Order: sequence, then structure tokens, then C-alpha cells
Amino acid sequence: MKTITLTLKKFSSIALEFEELIPDTVYNWSKEDFENYQVPIGNTRFPLTNYFDIEVEGDAEGPEDVKMILDGDMSRVKYIGYRMTAGEIIVNGDADLQAGAEMIGGSLKINGNAESYVGREMRGGSIEVMGNVREYCGTSYIGEWRGMSGGVIKVHGNAGKQLADCMSGGEIYIGGSCDILAGIHMTKGYIEIGGDVTRWPGGQMKNGTIVIKGKLSSLLEGFENEGIFVDPDIEGKQLTGKYIKYKGDIGVNGKGSLWLNAEKNRNLL
Amino acid sequence: MEYILKNGIVYDPTHNVTGDRKDVMIKDGKIVDNVSSDAKVLDVTDKLVMAAGVDVHAHIAGPKLCVGRLYRPEDSRAGVVPKTDITRAETGFSIPSCSATGYRYSRMGYGTVTEAAVPPLEAKHTHEEIMAIPNIDVSPLALFGNNWFVLQFVKKNDLEGLAAFVSAWLKLSKCYGMKVVNPCGSEAWGWGMNVHGIDDPAPHWDVTGGEVVRALTQVNEMLGLPHSMHVHPNDLGHPGNYPTTIGTLDAVKDVKKNPNVIRDQTIHCTHLQFHCYGGTSWRDAKSGAAPVADYINKNKHVTCDVGQVTFDETTTMTADAPMEYDLYKLSGLKWANKDIELETASGLIPIIYSPKAPVNALQWAIGLELFLLINDPWQVVLTTDSPNAGPFIRYPRIMSWLMSSDRRTEMLENEVHKWATKRTDLASLDRVYDWSDIATVTRSAPAKILGLEQRGHLGVGANADVAVYDIEPENFDATKASNASVIEDVMGRAAYTIKDGEIVVKDGKIVKVVPSRHMWTNVTGFEEQEKKVLEDIMPMFNRYYTVKFENYKVFDHYIDPAIEFKIDAGK
Ligand SMILES: [Zn+2]
Repeated sequence: MKTITLTLKKFSSIALEFEELIPDTVYNWSKEDFENYQVPIGNTRFPLTNYFDIEVEGDAEGPEDVKMILDGDMSRVKYIGYRMTAGEIIVNGDADLQAGAEMIGGSLKINGNAESYVGREMRGGSIEVMGNVREYCGTSYIGEWRGMSGGVIKVHGNAGKQLADCMSGGEIYIGGSCDILAGIHMTKGYIEIGGDVTRWPGGQMKNGTIVIKGKLSSLLEGFENEGIFVDPDIEGKQLTGKYIKYKGDIGVNGKGSLWLNAEKNRNLL
Repeated sequence: MEYILKNGIVYDPTHNVTGDRKDVMIKDGKIVDNVSSDAKVLDVTDKLVMAAGVDVHAHIAGPKLCVGRLYRPEDSRAGVVPKTDITRAETGFSIPSCSATGYRYSRMGYGTVTEAAVPPLEAKHTHEEIMAIPNIDVSPLALFGNNWFVLQFVKKNDLEGLAAFVSAWLKLSKCYGMKVVNPCGSEAWGWGMNVHGIDDPAPHWDVTGGEVVRALTQVNEMLGLPHSMHVHPNDLGHPGNYPTTIGTLDAVKDVKKNPNVIRDQTIHCTHLQFHCYGGTSWRDAKSGAAPVADYINKNKHVTCDVGQVTFDETTTMTADAPMEYDLYKLSGLKWANKDIELETASGLIPIIYSPKAPVNALQWAIGLELFLLINDPWQVVLTTDSPNAGPFIRYPRIMSWLMSSDRRTEMLENEVHKWATKRTDLASLDRVYDWSDIATVTRSAPAKILGLEQRGHLGVGANADVAVYDIEPENFDATKASNASVIEDVMGRAAYTIKDGEIVVKDGKIVKVVPSRHMWTNVTGFEEQEKKVLEDIMPMFNRYYTVKFENYKVFDHYIDPAIEFKIDAGK
């Protein structure tokens, strides 16, 4: 087991990019290697030591033996855990854009808030965010119609707009509320939102499942009521209470299912 | 600067040089037969030497590309290459950034590329992009097949007026030649319709595609434009369309070629693969390549390029807007549509050609059938209608397929859906291209078809556009299936690309960036008629265009540097 601890000592207002600092690339790095490393910033690179105190303990045979701890405010550190396939990254603070983007395996935990594009095009592994995430969590790349296809994202706080755009697999759990267009264009996968949702979940969804445990302010016209179910079992997940089930988005011949907590959405009964 | 390329194995089909060990000499940007002792010697012993490549049909500059890049950011992120001291950063796979377009052609040893579809209204933007593309001269073709004024002249059967209009519009748009796309079909698209076949009139016009192609071909020969009529016929991509294709070619069979041009053809049919389908629907679709190839073998007034499918995720973009809508309905992906006022329309969608998909396998096989069934390589040019059937960077891969029937058999047996075997004759065709054939279909023939006297060959006086490849033709068996990947690799990164006597690529790397020149045709001898035509059409122009005529033309600073082809139409 190898533990790599990077403690922020100087905050850069221009974002640092961490796509090269994942367990897959650093598992065999010594402290010296880190000290010689130049981190991308804007259109140039600077020594990592300008910004971090570095500690390296233990040895690793491969990325799966690596635990990386990023201590401090990482709200200007982008691409944490980008394309990682194994190992563990813990961020003790906020994280900037693209945390866990294109992640394949391993785990990423953010003990703070994260910016937009958490878990973009994720294929596997797990991401846990203790705070909030901004827009486009678990989505596709801009323009791309093939989105998140696997893995699990768990957000304890709130999520922003267009959660899981073009999702085709995997699971997303949002503890708090969620803004517009969650699960837009989704074709497969599972989204569960614990809190309230503003508007239009599942726009143009072709398939997959969205569960909303809080109140939905505005449902799209393309969803057909399929009745009320008590304690439904949805894809092996046992929910408790009464849920209204919808099928949609019929605008695109969709066969997705949208489940709304009946108690919180009495206006729709 | 003088150069002497020593000891190479030269293929120059224009001069019947087929693999001779020869020196190629360069002075002041031209091929010469003598250089001074100061000439720099480039030792290319045993290596393959050809004129630089000439592309007769690709989409590389203009509004369609721009829409494509805006609409497909996911394509831009593919093919990202960081900047170097010499080159700018590259992005994109099927719709590369402008600079990447120039670098990539240049690395393949190409020196001239035809931008195949310029709506005159958007010509300024096309020239702006050409300014941003380095290392290749560009010959843009202006779209005429759905232009309201053209339809009007054709309806009145006023060829004299039409000739003056074309002559004026080439000057205004600073284009090299004429292109027709789905004549009358893109106009019909303005009403949500299409036309079917060459005898189906555009709504409200009572003019047919056949009539438009014939009239414009007559005008092309009347003016003596260096390139012939360049046609994308009606019914692209529809099963059962091959009779429309033959009908289009036959409609101009009796048009007399202008005596002053160097080309042999009066009509060039582009991306022929998309126009050679038999059957009645995608259920029973099959190859129609054999009857079309047979027609071309018997008719010297026709040339074509193939539009070979390469099995990539690419982008289709064309002024054939109704066809793009059909394709969008089939694929269910995303779709962009543009209306170009009085001139045309266009559409754009991403597309994935998969070897496992029956229709794509059929398209791939039909393209190769055309290469192999058309006997005279001077009548058929290697293209992918880039990026429509695949991006141009795949040309070396297509060369490898043409050079090895073993490789084709290997693909038919293991990689490609059985429609390619069952619904085409490809499996029975064991013809292979040699290096001379490759040189013909990638440089000599396209240059001649375009009417470019100084390109596509290595004769004295030709532009010193030369490509050297790191392969020894005398010690290499191109027919071996296992050598296909070698051909692809080597032809994709030239050992030298020389442009106008300057080395722009060495060992597959860009070493120099030079501006691309804008090639355009200036017809003289029609000044009086042009003046009258402009006066006649101005009321309609002012009524329907959203721009003022004063702002419509491409000003000279958009085409710097330019090559002007002066044509005396009175001759
Ligand atoms: Zn084209």
C-alpha cells in the first residue's frame, strides 16, 4: 500500500490540471519524482512543489495499491481522477471541474463540493461527493450522444442542471435537490434523487429509470401516467411508500420510467 | 533554391514513367531538366517518387465545415495534437481545424485539393478558411444546380445568358469551376420535398435536374472552363438509383467538348459509389456498380471519383439537404440544416460506418468494385468525398485495399458483413493496382480532370509539387495482405513533400508552413453579356437576397495569394 499526500500550500487562481496525477501513472513514483514533476497550469507548467507539500509512504505494485490524499482547497484543481482505472483518491476540500471524468475504475471521494462535469462519461468505479455538485454531473461530453455508461456516483448534497445527460448505464444517487433536465436523453441506467426537483426530468429519455423522492415542480408533457405502486421494487431496489409511475418520453417513443413520490406530489394524483 | 532528388524510383503516368530510376530536378518552384552545381542533393535512393497528390473532391473549407465544428465538438476533441514550433495545435478527426487540414494533406504528400461545394453567398467564408489552411492550393467549385437564376435561364432555354451568369458568378465568388448537387432537389427541399430522377421538375419551376445538368454542361464547354461540369446526381444513396446516374451522364453525351481544354471529359461524376445502388429498397439493395462501370468504360466523356467508405465514425455534409434529412431519419442521431437563400440548402449529420452493418459493408464493396471495374484509371479518382464516406486521412488505407486482393479477401472473409460478398461482385475481382495505377488515381488523373496543366506530373515546367515515400517499390510486395498496414503507414507520412520547390514535410513531419493559394477562373470575352445579365437579374437579387449586391462579392483581399486562370471564352 502506498499513501501519497499532497497538502496545498499555495492556492493558484488559474486552475491546476491533475489528469496526469492518477494512481495509474504515479503508483511507482518516489517523493523525488513528484518533486521533479511540473503540473499543467493554463498554457504552461510549473513545479508541483510550488503548490503542494508532498509526502509519499509505502510501496505499490500497481494503481490498486495507491491511496492519494489531497488536503486543502482544491477548488482550482481540475481533472482530479481523470480516466483513473484503480486505486483511491480522497479530496479533503472542494474540487474543480471534471472530477472523475471518464473514470474507469477505483474510487474518488470528495469531502466538499465539486464543480461541473463530475463523472462525465464515466465507465466504472465510484465517486462520492459529500457536498454539492454543479451542472452536468454524469453527463456526456458536449455534443457527444454517448454519456456515462457505468459506475456509481453518489452525491450527498444537491445537483445542478442536466444531470446524467445521455446516460446509458450505471447509477447516480443525489441526496438533495436537483435542477432542470435530470436524465435528459438517457437510454439506460438508474437515477435516484432524494430531494426536490425543479423541472423536466427525463426529457427525450428513451429508456432507463428516474426516481424522485421529493417534490417535482414541473413534469414534461411527454410522460404518461401508469398508475400508483406501493413499495415498488425498481430494478432490484426496494423503495418504501407510494409512487406514481410514468412512462416516457413519448415524444421520442421512449420507454423510460419516471417514479414520483406520491405523498410529495399530491397535485399529480 | 535548386534541388535534385537523386536516385528515386519515379512514377509519372503522364509521361509513361513507370518505376524508372531517375533524378528529379527543381529550380524556382518548377520541375526542370537541368540544375546548377549549387543544387542541394536530396538522396532518395530506391524510394518511391511521385508528383504531389491532387484531390478532385473534398469538403475542407467553408460554412458546412464551420457548422460541423460547432455542431460536433465531440469530433474536435478527437485528433488533438499539441502545437510545435512550426505548427499550430490540431483538432478534429472528420472535421479537422483549418490548420490541421493543411498539415494532414501535406503529410500525405498532397499539394492541391478541390473544395467541392461553395455556395456563392458563403464564398467569403470559404476563402477565409482557405486562408487559414496551409500548404495546399485549393480549387473551390461554386454551386449552381439549384440557383434560382440558373433555373430561370434554363427554363427560358437562354444558354447565352446562362453562360454570362456563370462567368460573372465565378468572378464574384472567386471560384475555379462549377458544381451541381442534386439539381432541383435541394430547391425542392425549400418546400420540404425532393426530386426523384432527372425528369422530375423542381416545384414551381417546371425545370428538371436533367435539363439543369445539360444546360450547365453546354455552358461549361461554351466558356471552356478548365474543369468540366462536376456533378453529384439526383437520388444519392437511394437503392435503385444507378439508372438515374447513367441517365445523368448520358444526358450530356452529345455535348461537344471545348477544343482548348486539356481534359478529355465533359462531365465528372463525384462520389459515384453513392450513386450505384440496385434493388428497390434497403431490404433488397444490391450493387449497381457493374452497369455504371460498363457505361464509363464505353464513354470517354465521363470521369468519376469514388467516395470510398472507410468504416469510420465521420460526418456527412452536403448541399443535398433532403438526402441528409432522410439519413437523419435512419440514424436518429443529430442533424443540422441550412438554407442558402436563392442558391441551395445543406444538411449535416454524424454517421458511423460499421463493417458489421449490412448497408455499410455494401457501400464499401461497391466503392471498391468501381475502382476495379472501371478499366482506365484515368477515368476514376481516389476520394472519400471527405468527410462524407470517411476522412481524407484514410486515402493510404484505400491504396492498400486497391493494391492487394488478398487483403480484400481477408476483409470479406473475416471483417465485413456478408452483404459485401453476396450482393456485389467484389469477391470475384482479383485485379490489383500497381504503383503506376496509384499515381494515376491520386495525382495524374485528378490533375488532368481538373484541367491543371502544371500539376499531377513531373514533366519540365510542372509545378515542383513532389512527394517522396519511404518505401522501395522494387523490394516490396504490395499484394501481400500483411503488407497493407505498411502501405497505409508509409503513404500517410511522406519522406518529403515538396510544394512549389520548398520542402514542407520531412520524415512525416511538417517542417515549413506556406500559405495555400486560391485558384479561380477569370473568363474574359463575355463582359458585355455579363453586364446585361447583371442588370436583368438585379431586381430579383435585391428582392430576395438578405445581402446587398455590393457586399456579395468576394473582395481581392480574401484570396491572397491567388492563382488566376484566365480563360478567353471568345477563342
Ligand atoms: Zn462532396
